[in-house]
Amino acid sequence: MLDLQSLAVGYRNTRGVVLSGIDLAAAPGDFICILGRNGSGKSTLMRTIAALQTSLDGAVLLDGEDVASMRPATRARRIAVVLTERQFNPGLRVEDVIALARQPFTGWQGGLADKDRAAIADAVAVAGVGPFLRRYFSDISDGERQRVMIARALAQTPRLMVLDEITAFLDLPSRVEIMALLRSQARQKGQVVLLSSHDLDLSLQLADSVWLLDGGGGFSVGTPEELSQSGHVGQAFDNEAIRFSPSQGRFEISSSASANT
Amino acid sequence: MAARVSTSGAALLASLAALSLLTLTYGQIALPLADTVGALTGTQSSDLARQIVLEIRLPRVAAAIIAGAALGMAGVLMQALFRNPVADAWSLGLLAGGQLGVALTVTAAAFAGPAAVSFLTFFEGPSITLAAAAGVAVAAFAMLALGRRVGAITLLVIGLMLGFTSQGLTSVLLHFAARAGGRVYGGWRDASFAGVAPSALAWLSLPILIGACVAIATAKPLSSLLLGETYARSLGVKVTSLRHAVLAATVLLVAPVVAFCGPVSFVGLIAPHFARALAGTARILPLLPLAALGGALLALAGDAIVHAPWEQHFLHLNAILAIVGAPVVILILIFSPAVRQWR
Repeated sequence: MLDLQSLAVGYRNTRGVVLSGIDLAAAPGDFICILGRNGSGKSTLMRTIAALQTSLDGAVLLDGEDVASMRPATRARRIAVVLTERQFNPGLRVEDVIALARQPFTGWQGGLADKDRAAIADAVAVAGVGPFLRRYFSDISDGERQRVMIARALAQTPRLMVLDEITAFLDLPSRVEIMALLRSQARQKGQVVLLSSHDLDLSLQLADSVWLLDGGGGFSVGTPEELSQSGHVGQAFDNEAIRFSPSQGRFEISSSASANT
Repeated sequence: MAARVSTSGAALLASLAALSLLTLTYGQIALPLADTVGALTGTQSSDLARQIVLEIRLPRVAAAIIAGAALGMAGVLMQALFRNPVADAWSLGLLAGGQLGVALTVTAAAFAGPAAVSFLTFFEGPSITLAAAAGVAVAAFAMLALGRRVGAITLLVIGLMLGFTSQGLTSVLLHFAARAGGRVYGGWRDASFAGVAPSALAWLSLPILIGACVAIATAKPLSSLLLGETYARSLGVKVTSLRHAVLAATVLLVAPVVAFCGPVSFVGLIAPHFARALAGTARILPLLPLAALGGALLALAGDAIVHAPWEQHFLHLNAILAIVGAPVVILILIFSPAVRQWR
């Protein structure tokens, strides 16, 4: 359903090409985690897939259509994004934020039809944001805000959801809950969910497939087990202080680092 | 929500009608309510009452309503465009920019010679509206460009400072213009609705009407922009053309007000906050009519106080608006949960 064809992402300035030669595919229902250290190109890749920035080469196809050349309104019906970007929004309430997700589907006034209300109600229930619908969006906690943005993305009823570092503000139980929620949504609705994260443990446990960026322009793709066993996870993340243990499937603090503490 | 909007709208409209009638009855000569209504409906016999109501007071009241409505709508647009709860045409220096545009034009004409001055005087309506529009547009584009580089509070301070600079320059320019023989538009440096001639009402309202239409057309995508530029783009909004359309609407709404009524402060800043509180939403479309009515009511209330039958005429519109408006802004900034994150 989602096909990346010899995609190259990056910037037309001094930062240049970040990743190139990406040929990947995802099927409906796939919950995919993109892992990599800071600066490895996770956000650049995700922004390019969502057509928020132009690719340097190659194409992103969604259901066979080139994402970059879709009309913006059409694209907005098929791709929803959640970012960590925080903006001040004077007077915006939580219910307004979620209702904005339906704008690609409404007429020029933005009035909601029954279908739109149903999509919103469903998203509100799934994300569990019902209790603070009338609160101001700028007046809720970071974790609540992240949930609201996820509800907004769900209400957009997209084919593809692109979520960048969304679990960063959440505590562990909320992270597990959100990731499990996204996974079951992908299954139920036949969506592709792309999630970038620092959160290795959880991602390796929950993802159907992992796209691992090694930070040097290389990447490897596979199931969590394959990548752990082959040592790719270790190559991408190991440093003097921590080391990935394929046998245990998690990181260990290396003995030299623990001796110093 | 729709019910809230229509109920508040009806209440505002009723208050506006009542206040308009009240304002028409008093002034240097007090008229009974029946005579005032009679003058409006054409059933009044007294020529004097008709003349006072229709030719002196009605244009002033109409100007206050139209200008207040325009400033209220422009405030909604600017607070959304800049995602800044204290943005409006006055606080970001657009009104001062417009004044400077008019002052430059008048001065240039004065130095160009009497022919230019009489040309300007003859085409007073369109020419000063255009001059104001140029000034407002320059100020608006400068603020938009700056707004992408600096934070909201820095932008506000810069807007106020540029406003002061423009006002100083305007004052100096008008002094030279007067010495060179240019006619200085009377009473215009302070905000007032009293100087709007009946013939000027068309020039005041036509651009505002067009601006309101553009504002309504941009309301839906502008609501998305409240989430930030990236989210707006992900919702299918063409952000750059939206910005330009919103700025065009702002210029159309604000320039005629500057040209005919001067720098009316605080109305555009406060009206959007009332509109949001009444509507219970920040979506732009329902805010526009409420902010228009609220702005009109606020401007007319200020005018009503200025023209109340005091023993002598001593109040200026902006003095009233500042005495009431500045504390309201302070209260909003301190207590409103809607702007908590911004504090």
